Amino acid sequence: MDLATQQRKLLGLFRSTYKVTANDDAYIRKVARSRDLAEGKKNIALWRVWVFERTCALTVNLLRRQNTLSQRLEEFITIENISPFRETQAPAFLEWLGRSDDDLVSSVARFELALIKVRQGDRHTYTIPWKIEPTSILHSLAKNTPLESDPCAGNYEVVVSRKMPGHFRIYRSR
Amino acid sequence: MAASSQLEEKVTTCVSIGATYEGRDPALLERMLPLVDYIEVTPETIAEAKGSRISLSKEVMSELKNISSEVKFIVHGVGLSIGSHDGWSPTYFHLLDEFLDQIAVAWHSEHLAYTKVDGEHLGIMLAMPKTDEALDMICERVTTMQERYKLPFLLENVVHVIPDAPSDYSDAAFLNELTKRTGCGLILDAYNLECDAHNHGFNIPRFLDELDMTNVRELHVARGVEDNGFLLDVHSQIAASSTIRLAQDVVSQAEGNAKVVVYEFMPEAVPGLGYDAIAEQLGCLRAAFRN
Repeated sequence: MDLATQQRKLLGLFRSTYKVTANDDAYIRKVARSRDLAEGKKNIALWRVWVFERTCALTVNLLRRQNTLSQRLEEFITIENISPFRETQAPAFLEWLGRSDDDLVSSVARFELALIKVRQGDRHTYTIPWKIEPTSILHSLAKNTPLESDPCAGNYEVVVSRKMPGHFRIYRSR
Repeated sequence: MAASSQLEEKVTTCVSIGATYEGRDPALLERMLPLVDYIEVTPETIAEAKGSRISLSKEVMSELKNISSEVKFIVHGVGLSIGSHDGWSPTYFHLLDEFLDQIAVAWHSEHLAYTKVDGEHLGIMLAMPKTDEALDMICERVTTMQERYKLPFLLENVVHVIPDAPSDYSDAAFLNELTKRTGCGLILDAYNLECDAHNHGFNIPRFLDELDMTNVRELHVARGVEDNGFLLDVHSQIAASSTIRLAQDVVSQAEGNAKVVVYEFMPEAVPGLGYDAIAEQLGCLRAAFRN
């Protein structure tokens, strides 16, 4: 097996995008059934978790409370082409989560991404819709305290801008 | 491996001490500076993304320039992907150029590995298969690197994450041939060797017996965590005494060519480790290697 073929197949195994067949080279079949591959994937996730804990703590806290961090991370690693540049990893993760069907995950991720951007000097104003009252949620995630079991439903907007004190403000929508 | 006391007697060469630093932690830097001779900088970890453009943080570069009279620098990349069949990372060259334009370095280095394939990132470094095809490709790229930068260039052994592919060379023979053909130096990561021994039964004494250790210019010590019986290559702990003894063993056999031992830790680990433990680790390395 030449270098290009070997590297492409190993990439597919790590990204879970390649299914091994009986026709595959013995080495690729050996890797596919090895514990090492599973551990390698866990290692990739572990590095990402450490980076995200530091760079997008609010969203990581939320996913931990939902017990979905591992699953989300696995999906992200499979689907997205994650750059080795750490600075780009949290924005990519948050942008991806911002498209989530889970409204709360989407709102928190979009809020945190906007906050990162304005703190880095972005002059845009970002408006993020929320379907529950954001203050207590954000407070709990920032302070690492339990989330309210029955948060107040409603239509809210969080506006993020570098012109605002603290860089954001919460509004109730009409 | 020889007993610790015997190894301490064997280390007669004074080796410099280095540590990783990724900026934005002046209190940590202040604690480390009196204890290190070299600061190891990874350009990718001090890079910032501004839209689609990635460049070095001005803030961190300024921090580094401010200490340039107190310490020497070495650059240790993680994103070159020298072993990718389809070519290496142009972004890494851009960052390296930017760094070298501003700060003088003693040498620069990378990992003997690949991190991307056809533009897709693996998320981890994989070791090269030890074949003639891989060797020819790496040698050509090392030569290009040396011609471009006119600086000593070193390559580091990485952890074998997955079982080894069928090969034409042993690990040591591959490194010997690489250094013989190109004149590049080696970094031996003692913790990576221990991971390979633990995870795959890698025979460290046989590897060291076969390796031409006079090519080793730099050693790395670090420690990660064990998960499910596997030692993971994450730099989150204080190095084990066995790792330091292994590094001493290599230094003693490198005939004075090994110049620095670097303690590697990731910034995410600093709050858990604490400044005191990091300083104590560096003090311990000074005692072990600068006697």
